[in-house]
Amino acid sequence: MSFTYFLKRAAFAALALAALMTSAFFLVRLTGDPVNLYLPVDASDAAREAMRVRLGLDRSLPWQFLDWAGDMLSLDFGTSLWHNRPAMDVVLEALPNTLALGAIALTLAFIAAVVIGSIAAVNAGGWIDRAVNVLSQAAASVPDFWLGLMGVLLFAVTLRILPTSGFGGPIYWILPVACLFARPFGTLVQIVRGSMIEALNATFVRTARAKGARGGRVTFVHALRNALLPAVTVTGDLAAQFAGGGGVVEVVFGFPGIGKLLIDGILKRDFAIVQASIFAVAVVIFCINILVDMLYASIDPRVRVE
Amino acid sequence: MKKMKGIGALSIGLAFLLAPGSAIHADAASDKLTVVVTDEPKSLDPCDTDLSGNSRILHNNITEALVNLSPADGSVVPSLATGWRQLDQLTWEFKLRDDVTFHDGKAFDASAVVAALKRAQDPALACEVGLATLKGVKFNAEAVNPTTLLIKTDIVEPILPNKMSAVDIGSPATPNDGKSRSPAGTGPYKLAAWTPGQSVDLVAYDGYWGDKPAIKNATIIWRAESAVRAAMVATGEAQIAYEIAPQDGTTEQDHAFPNAETSLLRIDAEIPPLNDKRVREALNLAIDRDGLVGTIFHQDAQKAMQAVPPSVFGFNPDIPIWTYDPEKAKSLLAAAKADGVPVDKEIVIYGRIGIYPNSSESLEAIQAMLADTGFNARLEMLETSPWLKKLLKPWDKERQPSILQTQIDNTEGDAVFTLPNRFTTDGNQSTIADTRLDTLIAGASKATGDERKKLFEEAFSYIAVDAVNIVPLFHMVTIARVAETVTYTPDVQAGNEIKLKSISYR
Repeated sequence: MSFTYFLKRAAFAALALAALMTSAFFLVRLTGDPVNLYLPVDASDAAREAMRVRLGLDRSLPWQFLDWAGDMLSLDFGTSLWHNRPAMDVVLEALPNTLALGAIALTLAFIAAVVIGSIAAVNAGGWIDRAVNVLSQAAASVPDFWLGLMGVLLFAVTLRILPTSGFGGPIYWILPVACLFARPFGTLVQIVRGSMIEALNATFVRTARAKGARGGRVTFVHALRNALLPAVTVTGDLAAQFAGGGGVVEVVFGFPGIGKLLIDGILKRDFAIVQASIFAVAVVIFCINILVDMLYASIDPRVRVE
Repeated sequence: MKKMKGIGALSIGLAFLLAPGSAIHADAASDKLTVVVTDEPKSLDPCDTDLSGNSRILHNNITEALVNLSPADGSVVPSLATGWRQLDQLTWEFKLRDDVTFHDGKAFDASAVVAALKRAQDPALACEVGLATLKGVKFNAEAVNPTTLLIKTDIVEPILPNKMSAVDIGSPATPNDGKSRSPAGTGPYKLAAWTPGQSVDLVAYDGYWGDKPAIKNATIIWRAESAVRAAMVATGEAQIAYEIAPQDGTTEQDHAFPNAETSLLRIDAEIPPLNDKRVREALNLAIDRDGLVGTIFHQDAQKAMQAVPPSVFGFNPDIPIWTYDPEKAKSLLAAAKADGVPVDKEIVIYGRIGIYPNSSESLEAIQAMLADTGFNARLEMLETSPWLKKLLKPWDKERQPSILQTQIDNTEGDAVFTLPNRFTTDGNQSTIADTRLDTLIAGASKATGDERKKLFEEAFSYIAVDAVNIVPLFHMVTIARVAETVTYTPDVQAGNEIKLKSISYR
């Protein structure tokens, strides 16, 4: 990938980011006035108005937008109403937790899907294939929320081998990772299986076999290399989704990540937190997309030429 | 053999992985306690104790007030003040303890109270206590000497000591140019750490003036899911969990306690057909409260006929509870219709998601009961922000007829904390404009003793029987799950206060 290509991508990303942040500004304000949420219900109208003035919410939307856009250019995201701290500080504390959680879940899902999907493809039509199909469809469709609560019930309450929730050592990551693992695993298994079956029936594989190449090598080197491309593309999309956090999973487990922060920010009309979170997530998604492109190019030499 | 090796490695790996888990579930040390609540506090500033999320952590743990209210009868009892008396209509004198120090080493004296009271009323800080409890009255404090304090008001304030129970006193070093995230109070615990998004840790304060608490280290954490909160006590990760939903709170460890909250539906009596009293009565008669309690509402909830529970001064025990009489409701609607009242018009029921456990289910049931009686009611569940827009004035003039699900708390123990905002013409949540009621409430707010009680009782009766602008539902209960190893009895104040110093291991 050339430097010019990267610059072109970055310029498009900056434009997209500007459009995204502008819509975030207006959309978050359409959801309502935060003042009522932050003052006791018995507070007087005068106190409410004073807070509106203090937050600049009494001015017309275009003026608020201009002010905000000026601050954005200097990367000033404002102060969180709920946390009473600079919003970006709060976001930067939560983001690494989510990225780590997403990366672990997705890496495990990818590896497991490649292995199990390939096994199913090799045994296409057999009982193993059918079992994998049922398992992966179930994994792809089970709701995170339900899986989370069932995990708590089984592993924490009944078996007492895992904590119900919280944040800390590796033990606290198992249930959230397992919940986030299920859907991408289910999706990727289906994709790997499909493209592997196609690859195993392709002419070049048949030629390799005819030349006497051994079964394992054909499956895991020749066919898999080709079958991986769609899986990598989908994993890139999934990674982009994960950058926004597994909101529900993070809420259930009290996991201090960006998904929980964003949900709380929206519910609490904490405009600064919502905007700073969206910005941070968008930047991460841009980086993930570049990484996926690079990975894609390293797997398929034809992409490099294009 | 190779296979055996693999299994062995796997077992060792699993054992290693699970080892810390076993440690988590070991019984907590007798001087450590973990309490799980629903939400992270918004602030730990001593002047922000009007909302329960903040108050639960601060009040009587980190910070204290001059006085407390007895959970048994709402009477005012000493805390940082040893005694108080009214010198004249506008002046109260408080005698303060002389053996108290703040966690930051500063001495507690009258000038510290002067500073705290001034800070709580500073409009620039927008303190919750100043905006709610102290609203409408100017409280000027003056230090006569270190242990004598005068508080003067601009208008008569007959329940000044009650109001002082809400004003937590922070160290004079508390900044005046913004809210504090690291409060220093006089309480039995000092703040050890607030890890945003994770926990607040408290540690016993060695220099505390009162009885030393049994628990040395307390951690307060928050989880949004009732099932997870309940599970945490079951697994030993926490010893106390609040606000367990009825369906999750069915074990012997779950204790229901009255929480000073009353659930009701507020009727917008200005818009037809709800401006007709017969229609409002029909709403009340259409609801089968006995059918709701023990199913959707907890079995210990008490049927209500007014907006405050019996623990509040001014509660009127003589107002009859609405009976369930759908036939009478139908005939009232028919009579109103005959007089040209548009009873077929759609009425919106505005609900708030999660205002109490099963809040949506309760309104779904009520909507069905109203439909059975002939009402044309549509349910709209809102999250907090849009719900507040419906609760608070100003309202849209062209609005639809509506009833709104709400829950009113009164832990301060006096009807004045409930009535003016909700039932007078000027009240910011009031759907009633009635000069007779305005006079009653204004008179009661200024009166003392039996006169005050009588006037408030009359006001409650007027609202329920004459005006009928509410559908009272239940005096509510909250469920707390308490570990068997812990001695703790939640009382009526437990919704706003975790009394850590009253908790110990068996």
